[in-house]
Amino acid sequence: MKSHWRDGDRVREVELQPLAHGRWRVRVDGSEFELSSEAMPDGRLRLVGDGGVTVAEVTPDGARRFVRLGVLDFVLERAGSGKVRAGAGGHDGGLSAPMPGVITKVMVVVGDEVTRGQPLLALEAMKMEHLIRAPREGRVKRVGASPGQMVQAGAELVELEA
Amino acid sequence: MFKKVLIANRGEITCRVAATLHEMGIRTVAVYSEADRGALHTRVCDEARWIGAAEARESYLNIDAVVSAARESGADAVHPGFGFLAENAAFAEAVAAAGLTFIGPTPAQIRAMGDKREARRLADAAGVPIVPGAEGADAKALVRAANAMGYPVIIKAALGGGGKGMQSAHDAKHLAEAIEAAQRVAASAFGDESVYVEKLLEHARHVEVQVLGDGKGRAVHVFERDCTLQRRHQKVVEEAPAPTLTADQRAIVTHAAVRLAEAVKYRGAGTIETLITREGHVYFLEMNTRLQVEHPVTELVSGIDLVRAQIEIAATGKLPFEQHEIKRHGHAIEARLYAEDAANNFLPQVGVASRVRWPDGPFVRVDSGVESGDAVGVHYDPMLAKIIAYAPTREAAIERLLGALDDTRVHGVVTNLPFLRALLRAPAVRSGSYDTEWVEREFLAGFAALMRAPAPDLALAAVAIAEASGAPLSKPTANGAAPAIDPFAQLGRWRQAGLAE
Repeated sequence: MKSHWRDGDRVREVELQPLAHGRWRVRVDGSEFELSSEAMPDGRLRLVGDGGVTVAEVTPDGARRFVRLGVLDFVLERAGSGKVRAGAGGHDGGLSAPMPGVITKVMVVVGDEVTRGQPLLALEAMKMEHLIRAPREGRVKRVGASPGQMVQAGAELVELEA
Repeated sequence: MFKKVLIANRGEITCRVAATLHEMGIRTVAVYSEADRGALHTRVCDEARWIGAAEARESYLNIDAVVSAARESGADAVHPGFGFLAENAAFAEAVAAAGLTFIGPTPAQIRAMGDKREARRLADAAGVPIVPGAEGADAKALVRAANAMGYPVIIKAALGGGGKGMQSAHDAKHLAEAIEAAQRVAASAFGDESVYVEKLLEHARHVEVQVLGDGKGRAVHVFERDCTLQRRHQKVVEEAPAPTLTADQRAIVTHAAVRLAEAVKYRGAGTIETLITREGHVYFLEMNTRLQVEHPVTELVSGIDLVRAQIEIAATGKLPFEQHEIKRHGHAIEARLYAEDAANNFLPQVGVASRVRWPDGPFVRVDSGVESGDAVGVHYDPMLAKIIAYAPTREAAIERLLGALDDTRVHGVVTNLPFLRALLRAPAVRSGSYDTEWVEREFLAGFAALMRAPAPDLALAAVAIAEASGAPLSKPTANGAAPAIDPFAQLGRWRQAGLAE
């Protein structure tokens, strides 16, 4: 069983092979190890490997998996689920809202030449203003929001062309 | 004493205020917006009243709706909490006009201190040193003033507070952009776009003094708090006592605070915020006419319930204790847990906190506004909880807080927990050698590198094993209720298949 998970900027591959008696052969990005797992009464997993015992807790949330390993927290996201992390970056020339919020200002119009880092829009969410900046140089091809408009996370706000 | 009090707020502070009211045998009324239907703060109060749509200006900032709810519920007083209408003079007036008691200062005091320019004048008149600064009719005038004063400067909303809308600028070029941004946030958050400019004091520590006044010219202080650990002017970790304050400095700030509170005949609980420079000079920043988010650290070191003190002052017009009766013992430290993705520029997060576990244990206090299954929405402040630890020494309090954070688990919404844990482990935090800009200047780069490190292979293994066990990927329901089935209950099948033994 092979699956892929987005871990920050990278995609990780994990392959699982069941062995007898609750043991698994695990291959993560090519490195292989064995461990045994046991479901604890409260739903957590007790993982026993060469490195000792670790208690893991996995909570699904859509494509995401919240993982608590001992006292450390990680969030992994199933890769290929189509969701792209917009952040302050953007992709394919498009710039999408990093979170739901209200557009408070649009600073560019179609046809504007923008430089990297130039503020394009201001988005207010949870009482904080976030400037959406150009990830690179380019010309504004499309503006998909106007001041006062409520936008959802992932909404395309500005499209840039080279 | 009051029989029934309406708490004009939401989230953790409503729960916090309700706890004291219940202890005093006073009935509680919560208010809620459409987005907070069934929220924790409505469940802990004796009754709850709907006040409007999700947008704060339709509900929690809607004076008419809140006052109507108070009147209809038969409450005899209103506690505003912090944020929302807590420092709104018109609200305090409307509460009084409805024949109810506002648990807080007078409208005139709120108005005077709410205009940070007026507050500076009052502090100056009371002999409290103020930060060099300037007002200006427009952006051009502010730029001219800043040029004359010298950079860096900080732009603040005249009617603002809580660090919202503050922007710093290190040269004239960035000042114009910063003024515009500050004006926009000021207009939307405080309904007035006026801003003023102050000299940015670098390498300073934020120390604030808790005061209580009887409204007739007598005031006491409950010592100080240090809130120097900030990110983007938002406090992250607060503690009491201030670790670097000398006895002389403590005497200076507490006396100045009491002098200002007495000069304005302050009523109720308030906080005088100051900056202390590396050279040891004390400057007045502002006075907050409300309970502070970080009030629990003061409560833990003094044994004084500040909410109870607010209520008693409002009901009796008397201070519940004399200055010499107020003692301080040990050390308390608080961390603010926010729904923010520390790995992604601290962007606020929304979702359903599907599985939440708060720490407990001796000398650990949690003031929280969510439980498992509660929704975290886009409309309000992303603070989920405050986790506070008390111990005889600062070192032991930090150790205890770290242990409490280790025991904290919020799944379903990304939180700043990794940031808090890394921050409290930083050697500079342990030794107390930092200033208000330190987190951004020195800590964040190393922390970002830590967050970019790949998750351990074991995390991937755990996810894959959980998937392979056939756990149903139940999605939280639209109304924010918890998944009806705990996916891990299904692990029983795994056992039956003989894989787990």
